Amino acid sequence: MATSPRGVVDHSALKVNQTGIVAIVLVAFIGSAFFEPALVLIPLLAVVLLLGTFAPQLALFKQLYFKVLKPRGIVRPRVVQDRPEPHNFAQGLGGVFLLVSSAFLLPLPVVGLALALLVAVLAFINLAFGYCVGCQIYFQLGRAGFIKATPGTTGTV
Amino acid sequence: MATQLWALAAASAVVLAAAGLELWRSRHARARAVGLTATTTAGDIEPYILYFTGENCSVCRTHQEPALAKLAGVRIDKVDAIAERELADRFHVYTLPTTVVMSGEGKSLNVNYGYAPATKLERQLADARGANLRVSATA
Repeated sequence: MATSPRGVVDHSALKVNQTGIVAIVLVAFIGSAFFEPALVLIPLLAVVLLLGTFAPQLALFKQLYFKVLKPRGIVRPRVVQDRPEPHNFAQGLGGVFLLVSSAFLLPLPVVGLALALLVAVLAFINLAFGYCVGCQIYFQLGRAGFIKATPGTTGTV
Repeated sequence: MATQLWALAAASAVVLAAAGLELWRSRHARARAVGLTATTTAGDIEPYILYFTGENCSVCRTHQEPALAKLAGVRIDKVDAIAERELADRFHVYTLPTTVVMSGEGKSLNVNYGYAPATKLERQLADARGANLRVSATA
């Protein structure tokens, strides 16, 4: 199979990140039914995702994986030839959605919670089925010329 | 609690609408892409696969390429959907990966938008071989 030069991505780190997103949103969603301040987890998660997008060393869940889960053998690494940009874009998009969700939490909590749930659903789809909606949006933006996408190889596999 | 239930209902409605839209889009694109032709090597009679991928496609690397590797002896033409945009547009490639099962004559028989498992591709290739045999028997 033909391969082109590209980076590698540890998909276990991505899975831990997605698990973290789903878990935090669910805790905020269910928790807020009994203890409203639990909603503060949503803006916090937005900040964590956005910080992690621009400064990977601040990506909380990935750091948890690299510093704790991987060294202790709790989660095994799964390194795949891949590019990190679409995944970072997807994470940033999730962060932006959660930021918008946070803005709605006080004036229109239904909208705010619904947006946060959508982020959790998309993270779960990626976690369970490997389908990354943010990466597809990245592809479409690349096709439209909004993002500079490096052409890959063309030939016989 | 009512807020949470309304939020759940709103999010479910959006997810269902998105799923319906995706289903409609893939069916619409498939209906327009099946039957199209692509250049083929003269003398080829075996069906082959056009595999649309891209440098940024993770599912291609983690799922689609291992599935394609299971198809022993099948010609797979790898196409970068961004570099070869004209060909990708012709087959209405709106998502990656996309696999197109082509007849030996270079006519598209099945289009799979999104990940297609090896079993599905094998079935489509078997159908394509069957169609080839029927064509040669009646010729």
